[in-house]
Amino acid sequence: MAGEEANLRLTPQEEDVLAGSDGPVAQKVMRTVVQYGQALGAERLVDISGEGHLVIAYAIPGTGPSLEMLEELVAAGLTTKYPFTLDPRPPLDYDNWALDRQQVAVLDGMYRDQARYEDLLLRLGARDADAYTCRPFLEEVGNIPKRGDILAWSESACVVWANSVLGARTNRNGAIMDLLCNIAGKVPLSGLLDDGARRATWRIDVKTGDLPLPQLLGAVIGRRVQAGVPLVTGLDRFLDAGLDAPTRDYLNELGTACATAGAVGLFHVEGITPEAVEQGTGILARAHRTYVVDDDVLADLAASYPVLWRDGDARPEKCYLGCPHVSLEQIDWWARRITAALQERRQPRIKVPTTLCAAPQTLARLGAAGSAWRDLQAAGVMLSAGCPMQLFDNDLAVGSAIVTNSTKLRTYTNARFFPDRRIVEILVDGEI
Amino acid sequence: MSLTFKGRPVLPGTVTGVAVVSHGGFNTYASFFESIHEPSDKAICADSGNADLYGRDLAGRVICVPNTTGSTSGGAVWQRLIDMGNAPRAMLFSKAIDSLAAGGLIVADLWGGERIVVVDRLGDAFLEAVVHGDALTIGADGGVVIHRSGAGTSQEAPQEDALA
Repeated sequence: MAGEEANLRLTPQEEDVLAGSDGPVAQKVMRTVVQYGQALGAERLVDISGEGHLVIAYAIPGTGPSLEMLEELVAAGLTTKYPFTLDPRPPLDYDNWALDRQQVAVLDGMYRDQARYEDLLLRLGARDADAYTCRPFLEEVGNIPKRGDILAWSESACVVWANSVLGARTNRNGAIMDLLCNIAGKVPLSGLLDDGARRATWRIDVKTGDLPLPQLLGAVIGRRVQAGVPLVTGLDRFLDAGLDAPTRDYLNELGTACATAGAVGLFHVEGITPEAVEQGTGILARAHRTYVVDDDVLADLAASYPVLWRDGDARPEKCYLGCPHVSLEQIDWWARRITAALQERRQPRIKVPTTLCAAPQTLARLGAAGSAWRDLQAAGVMLSAGCPMQLFDNDLAVGSAIVTNSTKLRTYTNARFFPDRRIVEILVDGEI
Repeated sequence: MSLTFKGRPVLPGTVTGVAVVSHGGFNTYASFFESIHEPSDKAICADSGNADLYGRDLAGRVICVPNTTGSTSGGAVWQRLIDMGNAPRAMLFSKAIDSLAAGGLIVADLWGGERIVVVDRLGDAFLEAVVHGDALTIGADGGVVIHRSGAGTSQEAPQEDALA
């Protein structure tokens, strides 16, 4: 970057690393972080104060660092300052995805380096072999930053949660830069790490008749505010204060959809999220803009989603749920709803092969002996700690008739979005 | 006719190329989702939510956007595109570069191969002026010239807009 634009001041220790005191690879890592800070207009770097969460879970080029890069970092003896969790594993537990032999062969080829890749991540600081989920902040997983913690997280769904619901501070760091900042233990003081950037630049007034679907509301907000910071008003009519489990699940889906449809790294919800509770509407920037969301706005968005199936009238071939990973309470909801719908039809099993995804720790806590697990298994729902999105990283799923309740999965694949309750009907009926 | 704008060179370089323009945020991962797996000389934009770019070939182009959006996986895309030979030639941002784009493009530059030239802070007026197919010249100082047929006159964009 042009030198005259760079006003980044470094500490003597940072200068030393940049000059090569810790070796050439640490020097290159620091140079990368410094240049990142210069691009973001930061005046200095600050110390990371909590565990990381990184998006780089996949040993396929284009989604994370190359094996060669990881090996270079490991060979130099570098590790992150704190342990880190990672996004979900690829769907290599084939029995839980109803894959055909051709798909298995393709995935085997794509992920032939996955074991070596994960071993290198472990050596660089990954928590353990079960560190893979996009809900690391669930109690059973336990990567729960404190309010005010400085982090270098990636995975847009996790960044927006850490900022919005936990009150920690992280920018939307990209893949690979996330790892390098956590190795350096430093991140540029910029963006959402600054108080000023955490003020709401948008006021989103929710004027729907009922609690809106978080997936659609989030997508509307993300499209509208892009990289802005919204204060959402009107949701406290429907959600309990105090961040109980249903509210947490709602906000997780809302944030994920916001971050996918736009570049939202932080949202406030009046009366619910910590900084909004503390500051009320005083959290609004003076020059904020206002947008009203009513039922028509949400319906228009849902109607605008294109059908990307080869045959738009096809029967659904598969259903993927749990993008982002679901909580124990959400698993219980699916188990109860699907079981009730099957009983009503006097039908033993669902008609669409379905996989529901959750963190390894959530599935362990659910326990194979639990009633929700038994009910889902009996209904034909498969459970996995993997990520459905990775099934689409090849040509085999293009155009196939897949349904989902995730606007994130819809955005990145040809899956069709339907609300939860409609999904239950589709699974039982086997058609749309 | 030509139009001149001045931005901040984030990854400086002198290149020429043909513009493709997104007036909304550019979802890096959604756009290149289908372009990072098999070597190809094309990079067809796969983001069905981007009416400006969906279906257009972005390989070797100068991509003009306000900012980037979407999954943070997008950070790793740039290096892969460079390796496969279907990267854009330059990224031009009307706003200050966002953290996702900055991180990915800088990592690709320092740990990868050839440079994708990056200029930011070109201003809203730049994005209003540039259209698909424009021939662009980018200077190492962050200057961007839009060349239009009927060359011979020069229109200097208001600097206060260009630097907003």
